[in-house]
Amino acid sequence: MFGWSTAVFLFFLLCIDEVIRKRLLIDGDGAGDDRKINVLLKSFTKWCNSPSTSEEEDVQHQRMLSMLAQCEFSMGKTLMVYNMNLREMENYEKIYTNIEQNITSAHEKITECKKEIQRAKRIRKNRQEYDALAKVIQQHPDRHETLKQLEALDKELQQLSHIKENVDAKLELRKKQFHVLLSTIQELQQTLENDEKLDNEDTNQESPMDNSE
Amino acid sequence: MGPVELLHMSVFSQSFSPCGRFLAAGNNYGEIGLFSLSAALSPDATAANQKPVLTFTAHDGPIFSLISTDVHLLSAGNGEISGWSWNDLIKKTVRPLWTKRPSCRSSLEVPEINSMTLNPRDNNLVVGGGDNNVHILDMEHGVFKAVLQGHTDYIHCVTIRDREGDILSAGEDGAVRVWDSRTSESVHCIEVYKHESCARPQFGKWLSCVTTDSDWMLCGGGPSLSLWHLRSLSPASVFPLIGCQRQATFHQDMIIAAGDGAFVSHCLLGGEVKAQIPCTPQSINTLQLNTNSSEHRVLTVGGSSRHMDVFTNLSYRAFSLHF
Repeated sequence: MFGWSTAVFLFFLLCIDEVIRKRLLIDGDGAGDDRKINVLLKSFTKWCNSPSTSEEEDVQHQRMLSMLAQCEFSMGKTLMVYNMNLREMENYEKIYTNIEQNITSAHEKITECKKEIQRAKRIRKNRQEYDALAKVIQQHPDRHETLKQLEALDKELQQLSHIKENVDAKLELRKKQFHVLLSTIQELQQTLENDEKLDNEDTNQESPMDNSE
Repeated sequence: MGPVELLHMSVFSQSFSPCGRFLAAGNNYGEIGLFSLSAALSPDATAANQKPVLTFTAHDGPIFSLISTDVHLLSAGNGEISGWSWNDLIKKTVRPLWTKRPSCRSSLEVPEINSMTLNPRDNNLVVGGGDNNVHILDMEHGVFKAVLQGHTDYIHCVTIRDREGDILSAGEDGAVRVWDSRTSESVHCIEVYKHESCARPQFGKWLSCVTTDSDWMLCGGGPSLSLWHLRSLSPASVFPLIGCQRQATFHQDMIIAAGDGAFVSHCLLGGEVKAQIPCTPQSINTLQLNTNSSEHRVLTVGGSSRHMDVFTNLSYRAFSLHF
């Protein structure tokens, strides 16, 4: 048994190295499938060479068939496991590419969000500037009220200037009237003085004439 | 550097390289330290990666301002501006390309330069410093083109309005002046301390930080940190932060501010303080966001300590770089 196994893998050593390594990894000690195949081959040669009775031959035959079936079964199992592994690999590949796509899209989303944040910060800054200016503006009085106040003041100003004009006109008139009055008085005074002078001259002329007689 | 010097070190300024992989930080001893961000942020970073790859003395006074152009690093020391090539610095060759001094009244008292910013439109460098004036340096020809006079006390910070090309400067006199870069005239003058809602007389009237978003302006210092609408020149919101804020910046939809206090404050434009993230330095002088690189988007913070905190996520401190 031991010599046969060594012969087998010495033979394979000469041919294929990888196969050797794999086989040794899977089934190095000779137990399992390898042993089954070896046993089958041995029993087959024994069965071919044995001149035993048909009953024993039948039994051997059945045993060999069952061993063959077992070997086929285990081979079928390993084939299925192999196919399953292949499919699992495919599945993992798919998941892997999916995750990579997710990563790239997440990166893109992150850059988008960063841009959004910058925009939102700018908007916030503008809003705050607006608020600050609005606060300052609120401190000043309303334009309507100021206009109304201005209008009222204008009206008052007009009224007062009207009154001033009237008073000025009256003053002028009175001045002129007084002027007329005063100049008439002065003329009368002049005339009276002139008359008095004339009267005095007349009496002076008469008295020297009386004296000379 | 002895342990006493390390204890008293303050980081005043920082700037990222144009490729975004290096950070240059300036301290009060006049040294610039170059840190490799890609090494410090890599998954197998060690403690050695948190130290600078190159340290050199750039000026003999504290470096209050660092700024990067596409190829150069500009550093401001006592009255002088030096230009360094980033490529040279990455290769560890320390050689200043040029040194310029803005004109000052007397040669005895050289005013320090507190803040620099680059106007990308006409390639000008706007410099504000201790002589109460804003100087404009033309980067192409290397000459000082104009002097903007108007402040009555030294200038803490300058910034540019991107859309209109105006220059804003804030100073110790409590006024933010808006300058037209073409006519060199002061277009507006906003005196923040005169507004009751912002004023904090217990701290003074000085303004140490000003930053703008073209339509809006943040300014703070002695008065509380407040958000102003530039078109109407009116304060829109005042932030209830205790302590004086020394740096503030707009980031997306919120405001990041830092100053007195060992934390970085996150605030919303409406005036509420969303979060205060603790950090190592007890008071913060400089805050920078790395916008030059998409993979090393970090916020770095430096202040009155030799440690500079690096925030990979704005909500917490990841690690610290130190001199």
